[in-house]
Amino acid sequence: MKTIRRAAALAALLLATPAYFAAQNVPYDRILHARSEPKNWLTYGGSYTSQQYSPLKQINASNIAQLKVAWIYQPRQPVANLESSPIVADGVMYITEPPSTVTALDVRTGLKLWSWSATLPEHVVSIGLYATSRGVAVLGDTVYVGTADAHLVALDAKNGAVRWNVHVADNAMGYAMTGPPLALKDKIIMGVGGSEAAVRGFLDAYDAKTGKRLWRFWTTPRPGEPGAETWGPGAYESAGATTWNNGSYDPDLNLVYWGTGNPAPDFNDDERPGDNLYTCSVVALDADTGKLKWYFQFSPHENHDWDSDEPAVLFNATIAGKPRKLMGFANRNGFYYVLDRTNGKFITAQPFVKQTWAKGLDANGRPIPAPNQEPTLGAGTLVYPSITGGVDWTSPSYSPDTGLFYVSAHETGAYFIKGTGKIEPGPPKGIVGGGGIRALVGEQSYGAIRALEGTTGKRVWEFKLLSPAWVPVLSTAGGLVFSGSDEGNFFALDAATGKPLWEFFMGHSARSNPISYEVDGKQYIFITAGNVYLAFTLP
Amino acid sequence: MTAPTRILVAALALLLGGFAARAAAQDVPTANPTPADVEAGKQIFEQRCSVCHGLDGGGAMGPNIQGIPMRIGAPIVANTIKNGVTGSMPAFAGQITDAQIQQVIAYLLTLTRKDTATVTGDPAKGKLVYDSAGCASCHIVAGEGGDSGPELTKVGQLRGPGYLKTTLLYPGSDLPQQRSFLESGGMLDYMHIHVVTRFGQAFDGTRVAEDSFHIVIQDVNGNFHSFRKLDLKELAKQPGKSVMPSFKDKLSAAQIDDLVAYLASLKGAQ
Repeated sequence: MKTIRRAAALAALLLATPAYFAAQNVPYDRILHARSEPKNWLTYGGSYTSQQYSPLKQINASNIAQLKVAWIYQPRQPVANLESSPIVADGVMYITEPPSTVTALDVRTGLKLWSWSATLPEHVVSIGLYATSRGVAVLGDTVYVGTADAHLVALDAKNGAVRWNVHVADNAMGYAMTGPPLALKDKIIMGVGGSEAAVRGFLDAYDAKTGKRLWRFWTTPRPGEPGAETWGPGAYESAGATTWNNGSYDPDLNLVYWGTGNPAPDFNDDERPGDNLYTCSVVALDADTGKLKWYFQFSPHENHDWDSDEPAVLFNATIAGKPRKLMGFANRNGFYYVLDRTNGKFITAQPFVKQTWAKGLDANGRPIPAPNQEPTLGAGTLVYPSITGGVDWTSPSYSPDTGLFYVSAHETGAYFIKGTGKIEPGPPKGIVGGGGIRALVGEQSYGAIRALEGTTGKRVWEFKLLSPAWVPVLSTAGGLVFSGSDEGNFFALDAATGKPLWEFFMGHSARSNPISYEVDGKQYIFITAGNVYLAFTLP
Repeated sequence: MTAPTRILVAALALLLGGFAARAAAQDVPTANPTPADVEAGKQIFEQRCSVCHGLDGGGAMGPNIQGIPMRIGAPIVANTIKNGVTGSMPAFAGQITDAQIQQVIAYLLTLTRKDTATVTGDPAKGKLVYDSAGCASCHIVAGEGGDSGPELTKVGQLRGPGYLKTTLLYPGSDLPQQRSFLESGGMLDYMHIHVVTRFGQAFDGTRVAEDSFHIVIQDVNGNFHSFRKLDLKELAKQPGKSVMPSFKDKLSAAQIDDLVAYLASLKGAQ
């Protein structure tokens, strides 16, 4: 009897299997229309818009109180702060485990299907960053990942076998990869980190099938190129402007949008007079050629380590009766910007946290600097926001249902101190910071989830957090906003009012995108916390 | 004793032995640094550590590490610098030598609060004041005493005489930073909390733990009280207040100085 029952169960499993692990194939067309298959989560920010929005609504205000942990996955090596955001496709979840492991999980149970680890050199150079990994891209039947030693690797989605492995940049010089690739058309777009090692930033496109490099956009211009006049002599070569997070894509305009990092050295500008293009900017590149279509520099001649590497959020809305193609960007410098994403023209901006460094912005969105807000020798200068800004790299969310932009905001300042900032040729000997910061003491800092009107940046509500949090945000068609606290709370708020509806203490801060998927007719919410990956669902 | 139990006991003994050895090592910085070592450590710190830990070690994107070798032990700090923390802090093995790591540790030890006050009292007399003034009802020294206040076994190593005197006269007026947030600021240790529940019940105590949704306090009798913030009518943080009484009018100036001398002499297990 027992045998028969087991055989029946096995038969049921076999019957279920073909539908469940459907052929792992995610062609470009599926990612392009990711919004129409909300059961899956096919790209870093949920769709090319980077809206961090799920159309699923089974979990909503009426039942959120019952949300429970469904499963937990723990990586093979303990990790202090997972920042890995998953891709979910046809019953399989693809995650990374720092420094450079890719793992495929069964989305129902969290059981491991396969795992692949990069062979890293004994000493990986990671200057100004830690060897984290924020996730993979999936295209067709292949999974793509950037490694801590700056290789881009293509893996068979079925079993993790290596299809190709390209050496993108020299890790010994300080180049490293922490961000997820972006897959579009037949290409893999990949950025690099290493501004504090004074590398020169770039963004690459590779042929998804072969790994052949199709184009490279250097994020600082050479002498003779437009923008070269914004640098001191030779400074563009060790300039920073790295591209260490994910980007967005508008298929109609065929434009890739990518944020760029700070100039090097961070706090000492003696050798880099000028605006330092294209640091602390968002660049719009032709997806096929990598040619610059437009750029918008949030913080010209930046001196506070305010990278602009948060993914740009794309949305369409009506302004003054006219439908517009827009970009929302909650910048590390403390302002929320609305740009016309067809041409990069500034529409409006508002501070979303306390800021003291700009008197305001001019009609083109260029900041009007406030006096005495640059790093100084000795005790330093108190500036708001702090080194990690109003928000750092963690993704905000935009809900097309509410028209609101949700961001995990940091209310804090710091003393910025200028130091020596000479860049030595050759491999970096340490962080090329040219100074540093001194923290505020006492309990002066806090965080908040803030809901801003997408088209204006006007604050609609806030939910205060004990401390500034580095947790991305998810909004859903269920009228919910999910995010976390730095202390380890994972919570859901009412998307319209900010009222807390549910909370679960995970024991450690989350650092990855909360995402949502559906399997067997049940909606799941997924996030990481410290060392674990957690999936939640209704009973 | 069954065989598995014996193995377990042996394993436990080994483990505990290991801990004891480590605990002993923790209290002793491993090098005898010269001023040149400290200066070299400062250079390395500013080149490699300060962007994340702040130029004064007070925290930036990484935590506050001022004087951390004293708090968690120099060997653990050396190990962390060498191997990093996966997914959080880079490993520096292969980039700096063991000797340089010791120089960084020597420098970190200089980043604690500067306390220029000197001990003027008599520690032996101070011990008598400690016993008669009731300090032991709330504080532990070498395993003896009540536990509602902070343990004082190593307080002379952690705090200077100026700080100790201020605390005896004006408890709660100068709270130590407990931890740093990722960017700046943080939480103060021993914050005095006053709460009123929605049913009108009031509680006072020292904060033990807090997150964005909950707070736990410990009252003067050592009892823990845990609250959901959404259920509270009032939650007041009261720096400057303390469950510890002031000894300003209870002891003479000489007694205070003797007590400070005694506390300053407490430097851990002898």
